[in-house]
Amino acid sequence: MGQFVQLVVNGLTLGSVYALIALGYSLVYGVLKLLNFAHGEVYMIGAFLGYGTLHTLGGAADPALPVAVLLPVLLVVAALGSGLVGVAIERFAYRPLRTAPRIAPLVSALGTSFFLQNAVLLVVGARILRYESEKLVNVRSGIHEGVLNVSVMRLLVIGVSFSVMIGLTIFMRRSKLGKAMRATSYDPEAAQMMGLDVNRVIMVTFFIGSALAGVAGVMSGLVYNRVFQTMGFVAGLKGFTASVVGGIGSVQGAMAGGLIIGFAESFAQGYVSTTFYDVVVFLVLIGFMLIRPRGLFGVAELKKV
Amino acid sequence: MSKKLLFAPLAVLLLAATACGSDSKSSGDTAAPAGTTAGTTAATTGAAATTAAPSAGGAACSAKIGFMGPFTGDAASIGQEQLNWGKLGIDDFNAKNGTTFSLVETDTQLDPAQATTGAQKLISDADVVAVLGPAGSQEVEAIGPAMTTAKLAYVSPSATRTSLTVDGKMPTFARVVPNDDAQGPTIANFVKDTIKATKVLIVDDQTSYSTGLADSATATWKTLGVEVLRESIAQKSTDFSSLVAKVTDDVGAVFLPWQIAANAQQFGTQLAEQGKKAVVVGSDGVYSPSDFSLEGAYVSSFAPDVRGVPAAADVVAAYQKAHDDKFGTFGPPVYVAAQLIATGIQATCKDGKPGARADVTTAIKATKLDNTILGGPVALDANGDVVGAKFYMSQIKGGKYTLVG
Repeated sequence: MGQFVQLVVNGLTLGSVYALIALGYSLVYGVLKLLNFAHGEVYMIGAFLGYGTLHTLGGAADPALPVAVLLPVLLVVAALGSGLVGVAIERFAYRPLRTAPRIAPLVSALGTSFFLQNAVLLVVGARILRYESEKLVNVRSGIHEGVLNVSVMRLLVIGVSFSVMIGLTIFMRRSKLGKAMRATSYDPEAAQMMGLDVNRVIMVTFFIGSALAGVAGVMSGLVYNRVFQTMGFVAGLKGFTASVVGGIGSVQGAMAGGLIIGFAESFAQGYVSTTFYDVVVFLVLIGFMLIRPRGLFGVAELKKV
Repeated sequence: MSKKLLFAPLAVLLLAATACGSDSKSSGDTAAPAGTTAGTTAATTGAAATTAAPSAGGAACSAKIGFMGPFTGDAASIGQEQLNWGKLGIDDFNAKNGTTFSLVETDTQLDPAQATTGAQKLISDADVVAVLGPAGSQEVEAIGPAMTTAKLAYVSPSATRTSLTVDGKMPTFARVVPNDDAQGPTIANFVKDTIKATKVLIVDDQTSYSTGLADSATATWKTLGVEVLRESIAQKSTDFSSLVAKVTDDVGAVFLPWQIAANAQQFGTQLAEQGKKAVVVGSDGVYSPSDFSLEGAYVSSFAPDVRGVPAAADVVAAYQKAHDDKFGTFGPPVYVAAQLIATGIQATCKDGKPGARADVTTAIKATKLDNTILGGPVALDANGDVVGAKFYMSQIKGGKYTLVG
């Protein structure tokens, strides 16, 4: 029982991070029908931006700001920085290829991914860096009752992730820009004819998606501590899987998919095998592709002939 | 069914394939972010050893030494440290002996396939008379046959798998670190006698270094009557907390034969988060005061921290000046291996030119370094193992490594 409860907590934490990454994939796919495989690297850059900010502000052992102020600062800096990186990627790697065959932007995405990885290697070096968040907030603070162990950092990650997801849902439904994004996703040409600046909408989409990845990066740094230049690859792949499981293009789907993948990973590690847990995660993907190819919340596309 | 959604899994495969492919190619030489080692250490080499028979007949000896290491890729943190120490070792030797030995860097990314390609490149370069590296046991095994045929000596600063030196299949191989036969039992006995654990969990990180060491310790624990549980998790795993959730209260110690110190630190932190009392015991791969500072944990090493070895003081100061203080156990042995190789080559030099590869191999194996930065002499036995090598145990107290066995 104790192990089960702990696995639920772990799955929820991991799922929250994956969900935020999945949202970026889904948003971009929604408007551009493009799989932005550089998205995992944006997450990695977010994690490094958080690390850099933390150390600029004195490091985890001796922070210049109170923790309650410091953590939001880390999240905001990483979100803004990653958002700008996302906008730059769109401007230089995807926009010139918007009318090219679909394989071209995909290759460009992979190229961008390796470029970013190696750029970070060059600038930061190859050592695995640690946030040392245990010095920031005691790992035994939070809820530790009987079999339940939830540290403050985990509560923070889960809380922030769910708040961001709810906020994004409201934004997409209510705001003008959200509506514009949905319109562009539905039919970019018609949206343009109605007077929407499609380039701007795409830019904003990249900014929001990448900012979410940046937030996910910092949260991963705070809970899992380690940041390194290749960390975006597997996380990106899991985020992508989550968005496909949830139904790529769907905001709610990305959230649900993220949590499903997080739980799958956690339970697979706990009850199946710590060696082969990724097999279980990708079996979930294959299962969904076979049974419900459009994903949980995906809508079958209607095509008029 | 939408074509786009069919495209999704295909894209996953494409991405995975492309990423794997690129892992094994990428840049041939290193990205070297940490800057290069300037040859400024002439005055700092007093402590660093030499001996053998330096007999540079007349002209300054000049030779190329291959240098294989994981300079990029997932193990780049180890590789960059090794690169810096290797350069420092050769620069120091040149400055002290008036030689002009140079390093031919060959990136292996800790991948046996890449190491094989790199070894072929070095073998085909007639000027290369010996090789420093590679880092991993799996790489040493992969390049063994080609190196044997080429009669080319190669000295690994970190490959500890026991089987590399037992059957004489790789006569040109040598290493400056003890093998796992020494490490596994040292740790196993320590856990039984000092920590007094009767049930131990071993978590290997799926590398051959890790599984070999785990097997070696398991064998000893079984003879000592200690119950052993075994788990395995990839180095790149994001989260260890679900594995930690499996640690039961009767597990007295968790043995982590890992190569990434930051991972071990995270594992220990998550043990604490879940209120588990098991003591963490790390292998030499996690011996890194800057990255692994888990209070109360134990860690093994082939030598005490070189920062505390008097004979290493000047070299360590030179390294800290040129780079930083953030080095673990993988760097300093490269310096010693570089010195061993350079001393061996110098012994064969005539008229500024080194002897044939086979002669260099013989000379390297006969070389004795009286006093090294690792705190003692280094001499090789007939199999290429260090004579009298042993492991040490330290405990982390107040963030400091204290020698306890």
